[in-house]
Amino acid sequence: MKSRLNQIVPGLAALVLALVFWLPCLHLLFARPVTNFFAPAGVSPKARALAVRQMHLWTDPQLRQAELVRMRVSNAEWDFMGRSYLVWSLANLGLRDPAMKPACLQTMDRIIDETLQLEKQNGMDFFLMPYAQDRSYVVQPSRSLFLDGEIAFMLASRRVLEEKSEYKPLLAERINLIIQGWQRSPQMALESYPDECWTFDHVIALAAIRTSDYLDGGDHTQLIHDWVTMARQKLVDPVSGLLISSYTLDDSPLIGPEGSSLWMIAHALQWVDQDFARDQYNRARRELGATTLGFSYAREWPDSWPGPADIDSGPIIPGFKISAGSSGMAFIGASAFGDAPFLAMLNSTIDFSGFPSRKQGGLKYCASNQVGDAALLYAATLGPVLQKVIAGHHP
Amino acid sequence: MNHPYLNLLRRLWRVEIFSPAGFVQRALVISAGFLLVHLAGWREYTSVLNGTVGPDSTGWAGSTFFGVAYVLIYLAFVILVPVLLLAAALLAAWQRLISTRCWPRK
Repeated sequence: MKSRLNQIVPGLAALVLALVFWLPCLHLLFARPVTNFFAPAGVSPKARALAVRQMHLWTDPQLRQAELVRMRVSNAEWDFMGRSYLVWSLANLGLRDPAMKPACLQTMDRIIDETLQLEKQNGMDFFLMPYAQDRSYVVQPSRSLFLDGEIAFMLASRRVLEEKSEYKPLLAERINLIIQGWQRSPQMALESYPDECWTFDHVIALAAIRTSDYLDGGDHTQLIHDWVTMARQKLVDPVSGLLISSYTLDDSPLIGPEGSSLWMIAHALQWVDQDFARDQYNRARRELGATTLGFSYAREWPDSWPGPADIDSGPIIPGFKISAGSSGMAFIGASAFGDAPFLAMLNSTIDFSGFPSRKQGGLKYCASNQVGDAALLYAATLGPVLQKVIAGHHP
Repeated sequence: MNHPYLNLLRRLWRVEIFSPAGFVQRALVISAGFLLVHLAGWREYTSVLNGTVGPDSTGWAGSTFFGVAYVLIYLAFVILVPVLLLAAALLAAWQRLISTRCWPRK
């Protein structure tokens, strides 16, 4: 018995010592310079590899179909948002690398044309979750700001990269619908789902309006100012100071601040109010961002407004409260606000736990899906479109 | 059945767990398991982590099984294997130190 103990005790001690040494070192296996993910100028290696895979999906119909079917089983919105993020990414990519511009334009046009065709053919419900059909929209004729805002921003981003006259009236039509809707609504709120308004969709629409003004010489400064003033007064959680995610047409909160929306909200606000955008990012970083043993991640809910795991957050890992959805979107916030240390450690996390798969120069994350990878690509390329719009040089 | 590889496996299997050879043996078993599931393509099923079903028509139950199994074996590979190998080295060094110190008394 004693000799057995003499074997077990040193063995256990060796295991504990090894564990204490190894765990803090583990992140070093996955640590890369931040420029591996996001380059201030040009295209980072990871952005290029993600783009190769994403663009390949649009030249291989079978592969694309397989990806879309898998996503639509869970959420038809992902099919639509995967298109949006890819178009927005390619606009930035084309500006970053002129050699890639022709291929970017070709893919963007293919995505936009097919998306508009599918919407026309199947109606807006095609890209919405089934509960959109459970009851009627309050405002008739029914429209979803989720679709109108993102399609408008797709069309605008394409035109920032290079003008396309066919898209000018299509953009103007969507922008007018949004503006007229806001002007009719006392709360400046438009539905994405029946009596369900999303802050995310409103700020994307604001970015689209601002980009449309840049392209076509409009001026909606007052309207944008009014919306931001309303949001600061009515859509901010008084405890955390973070924007809530969704609310009814009469401004009653539905879902509180959530990471899977907030990081992109903060970025989209950069189009219209830099100070408010930075404030939201700083608060989100403090309330939702976390780092353990050199790996960064994000939680879905702040302590002031806890909530459940849902389709947006993805599964939440207990204890650490890590949300896949929020952590993926945190890349966008960290890139947009130049938070290099957080971005570098998020990059370590995704290479550790995202299960990268490289084939023929392309990169995808197996633990992600097409929309997740497209959002990562957007995080790795964002900047040039925003800079052009903010600078305000009319093309 | 006296195939040399089988004999080696039998000897390895009988190794005391809390010994340098025992730790190395476990590290090898985990590595082999990881290699198997990796070559079998189970990595693709980790998409269940974000709520997306795996490739082909495996369905949710199959995707969850393959995805979760891959994640667990991967974590064992990147965390436990280095720990086991480090522990084996530490233990071997400790045993050598002890035997050296004890030798004169023998």
